[in-house]
Amino acid sequence: MGTGIIGTSVSGLQAAQLGLQTSGHNIANVNTVGFTRQRSVQATNPPLLTGAGFVGQGTHVATIQRMYSRFLTDQVDRTQSTASELDSYYAQINQINNMLADPSTGLSPALQDFFAKVQDVATDPSQLSSRQAMISSAQSLSARYRSLGDQLAEMYGGVNAEIKATVSGINAYAEQIASLNQQIGVAEASTGQPANDLLDTRDQLVAALNTLTKTRTTTNSDGSYNLFIGSGQQLVVGPQAIELTTTPSSADPSRLTVGLRTAAGVQAMPEALLTGGSLGGLLQFRSESLDQASNDLGRNAASLALTYNAQSALGQDLLGQSLLSSPPTSFAPELFSVPAPAVIANTNNPPGSPVVSAAFVEPPPFNGNYYTDLGSSDYQLVSDGSSVTLKRLSDGKQWAGPGVDVAVINAQLANDPQGFALAAGPLVAGSSYRIQPTRNAASNISVNSTVLADPRLITAAGPIATSVGSANSGAAKVSAGSAGPGYPAALATMPISLVYQAGELRNFPVGSQVSIDGGVPVLIGAPSDGVAYKSGATVTLIGSVVSSPPTGFSFAITGLPNNGDTFSILPNVGATGDGRNALALAQLQTQATMSGKAETFQQAYAQLVSTTGSRTHQVQVSADAQTALLEQARASRDSLSGVNLDEEAANLIRYQQAYQASAKALEIGTSLFDTILALGR
Amino acid sequence: MRISTSQIYDSAMRGMERNQSQLVKSQNQMASGRRMLTPADDPVASARALLVTQAQDANSQYARNQNNASDRLGLVDSQLSALSDVLQGVRSRVVQAGNTVLGDSDRQAIASELEARLDQMLGIANSRGADGNYLFSGYQSGTTPFARSAAAAPGEPSSVAYFGDDGQHLLQVTSSQQMASTVAGSDLFMNIREGNGSFSTAAGGNGSGFANQGSGIVEAGSVVDNQKWQNALNTAFPWQGSSNHSLQIVFSSAAGSSSYQLFDASTPAAPSAPLPPKAVGELVPFVPGQAIPLVTTVPAIDFGAQVVISGQPAAGDTFTIKPSVNKSAFQTIDELIGLLRSPLASGAARTEFSGQLSAHLTNLDQVLLNVSRVQSTVGAHLQELDSLSNNSAALDVQYQQTLSALQDLDYAKAISDFTRQQLGLEAAQKSFVTISGLSLFNYL
Repeated sequence: MGTGIIGTSVSGLQAAQLGLQTSGHNIANVNTVGFTRQRSVQATNPPLLTGAGFVGQGTHVATIQRMYSRFLTDQVDRTQSTASELDSYYAQINQINNMLADPSTGLSPALQDFFAKVQDVATDPSQLSSRQAMISSAQSLSARYRSLGDQLAEMYGGVNAEIKATVSGINAYAEQIASLNQQIGVAEASTGQPANDLLDTRDQLVAALNTLTKTRTTTNSDGSYNLFIGSGQQLVVGPQAIELTTTPSSADPSRLTVGLRTAAGVQAMPEALLTGGSLGGLLQFRSESLDQASNDLGRNAASLALTYNAQSALGQDLLGQSLLSSPPTSFAPELFSVPAPAVIANTNNPPGSPVVSAAFVEPPPFNGNYYTDLGSSDYQLVSDGSSVTLKRLSDGKQWAGPGVDVAVINAQLANDPQGFALAAGPLVAGSSYRIQPTRNAASNISVNSTVLADPRLITAAGPIATSVGSANSGAAKVSAGSAGPGYPAALATMPISLVYQAGELRNFPVGSQVSIDGGVPVLIGAPSDGVAYKSGATVTLIGSVVSSPPTGFSFAITGLPNNGDTFSILPNVGATGDGRNALALAQLQTQATMSGKAETFQQAYAQLVSTTGSRTHQVQVSADAQTALLEQARASRDSLSGVNLDEEAANLIRYQQAYQASAKALEIGTSLFDTILALGR
Repeated sequence: MRISTSQIYDSAMRGMERNQSQLVKSQNQMASGRRMLTPADDPVASARALLVTQAQDANSQYARNQNNASDRLGLVDSQLSALSDVLQGVRSRVVQAGNTVLGDSDRQAIASELEARLDQMLGIANSRGADGNYLFSGYQSGTTPFARSAAAAPGEPSSVAYFGDDGQHLLQVTSSQQMASTVAGSDLFMNIREGNGSFSTAAGGNGSGFANQGSGIVEAGSVVDNQKWQNALNTAFPWQGSSNHSLQIVFSSAAGSSSYQLFDASTPAAPSAPLPPKAVGELVPFVPGQAIPLVTTVPAIDFGAQVVISGQPAAGDTFTIKPSVNKSAFQTIDELIGLLRSPLASGAARTEFSGQLSAHLTNLDQVLLNVSRVQSTVGAHLQELDSLSNNSAALDVQYQQTLSALQDLDYAKAISDFTRQQLGLEAAQKSFVTISGLSLFNYL
């Protein structure tokens, strides 16, 4: 270091040069993502003590400083992670939203068309053309269910792929951060100065990592970062990164879940803990919206198939075949088929665990139609060796009983119906099963190929006809009657010819049970046993199905009969013009067939549309709000750390002038020196 | 607050992007005419729109069903009118046949005409709809409903039998109402009560093999108190349980003046041997044209009914009264033809002929009554369908309005929004250009 004016001026020149260089660096990086503006910090050199006091010795640049706030950067990262989560959720759910959006491609036009065609068959049961049209629309209805179901099923695959990509992204970032931790440590230890641009790069990587998943950061004394995800699991510790893996879920191997690879093996992370970032958005979307939408759609498809088939089985086709026909016949009671509820055994189940299966229960009859009790939740069956527990996952409701037999659960479900029943051998302690009653129903619904090939098999007619005796002298009429579940057992011998005598109906088949207006059944012991005649009352010949009110074959006689009047119940032969069962089938459209006789098919579908719509809307609004928060956080950070070109222009002028001034001082110093040299000449 | 250069660009970009996306959305709304582009735009209205659409579609399906019902009932109605015309023709010929100046050959001629009428009636009964289905065969739309069946015994006339069933084809005409769109042939042609609807009367003959010898003719009679009639028929009267119920009025001239007495002439079911008629009423003096109440003394039962016998029955003449059974329209006419074909030899035969003709005429009136009953039911249905169809049209408009309010775009508002958004975007663009042009470097 020189002394005097020359040395002082040279130090000024150097400082100004560094200042110009820093400004130049800032200007050059004005568009660099994650760059933090820098400034040179100048300090005075130690002064020289003379008799006249301390004489200043010029300046030096103490350090190049980053204009950085750890707090503001953290704030950006936190808001960014929530914003990314919402964005990724929105991107996914918006697919469902758009899928349901178009009124001409959704489910409802196909549903309406199908039932309109059923009505057309009811109008013209003998016309093969109307039957063929009905079969075609049944096919397009099932195709529509399948197409919607498939789109949802594909989204599961999409979510799996994205989870995989996101996890490998997280691993890559974690690796880079760990390696930067090391580089920064080395660089700073050797110089004692902050490694500004490396620090920027690391912060930028942390920010990018936060778009994938939410992390918490702590700083070690050597300046390296530790990163934690989930509920505090280590992702990066100083120079070490821990690898995240994707593994098939033990409860349902078709779903990928995230785990941490530790020395002890892969440790699965509970999905609920992985919040924030696009990974959190994906997981939340899958467990919250995608499952619900798939189950809801499947519930719709399964309910349609079950209730339609139940009513269809009670009819008679154009060939005169019904459940009453003695086999072998080509009678096809079912038009739709749906797969049984899926039961998935946990992959960690102890060896020897039995296979558990589930089946839909027959839809219960109600007021001349059918309904299902299916909900949109999944269930979990757990055995601890001494008790069995079935848990509904949507709200945690439990059914439990002692032992290892699922029969105790079935007995409870009989009183609190969920629409399915279980079957299994003795359960093994520690085993668990996931039950998905309707997850796959929509994508696998199909139309019975026998009926497809021969539309005459549509059961448009009723199986039974009634008639008033032609010699009756009274004016009583008998209704056409309707067949209920289990009716063939009530009509084993036909024709049945009831006789009115002395205020009673007699001549019921011996051994049958008769109920009036759903009242207590009367057992018929002999043909002379009668039930009191009541005009207009519903008389039910009880069949093989136990239910309340009793079902079987029901009819009503109205008016005033005379003694000896007869009323016959006989097979409905040659009834090509009978559309009674088709009418009953058509009525399924407007009756409450779902959710325990609470909703129609269309209402349940509208519910799905509205739930998806509101959730999309809600996510959209939250995402907008979060984006605004993110902008604010960024603005706060940028107002501290961002480069302002005007400011840098001013700084350029400032350092230029400082440089010029120092140069002038040097020139003066030189000329002073020259003056002294000239003295000796 | 300090602003960094990138903030100026970023916020300007974001502002323009926001404006642009709003503009595109408005444009989409205007292009599609829909307020809601996806359910997220208004979840509640989307769900309601789905429900209203279904209600509207169902309503138009019901309207189609109403039209179908209307078409079919219209066809049935026209057949019923034709049938009614035929039967009126038959009736006038039958009344004409009662004229005493007509000879056997005249009656033969009328009988021949009635045969033609019967064929015409059979044609109507077997008529088909536009789709080729029989109109009057119940559920069995492919079965020819009426045909002559083989005679029960050789020599006896064959009769027209019904091969359909009692079914009525129903159509869903509103969400809560099903309407019959056909008439079962059994209801129209077969299940017709003979006599006056409650009982039938006939001359019973005088001894075995002889017709009544007097000039007494029994009229159809009538039930005065239906309650009593039903009660007598079902609970009180001793013929209960036997198959062929009948009462007999037997005339005598015991004290020189004509008297009658009521007997129970029911035939008990086989194998019990026929019993002699059992007197149940007292001997009552007879005045021609007098109403004879059907009242028995042993046991004491009031049938709530009466018959009138005109003319003067001879001693031993009997008249029977039976509860009505069903007689088909075809059988009534068949029997008429048979009656007209048989020659009249004696005065007694002529009296018997008159009595029988009058009984057949009563039966024919029952047939006509039944046809007009069915016709009025069909007419009422047609009328109801008219009002239902008006109602459906009104409902359709209502649904359309609801749907429009739920999902259609308010164009005035949309255009004003669009203009506002456009203005916003232009302002953002202009201000961005201005701000980005400001740089100190311009002056260095």
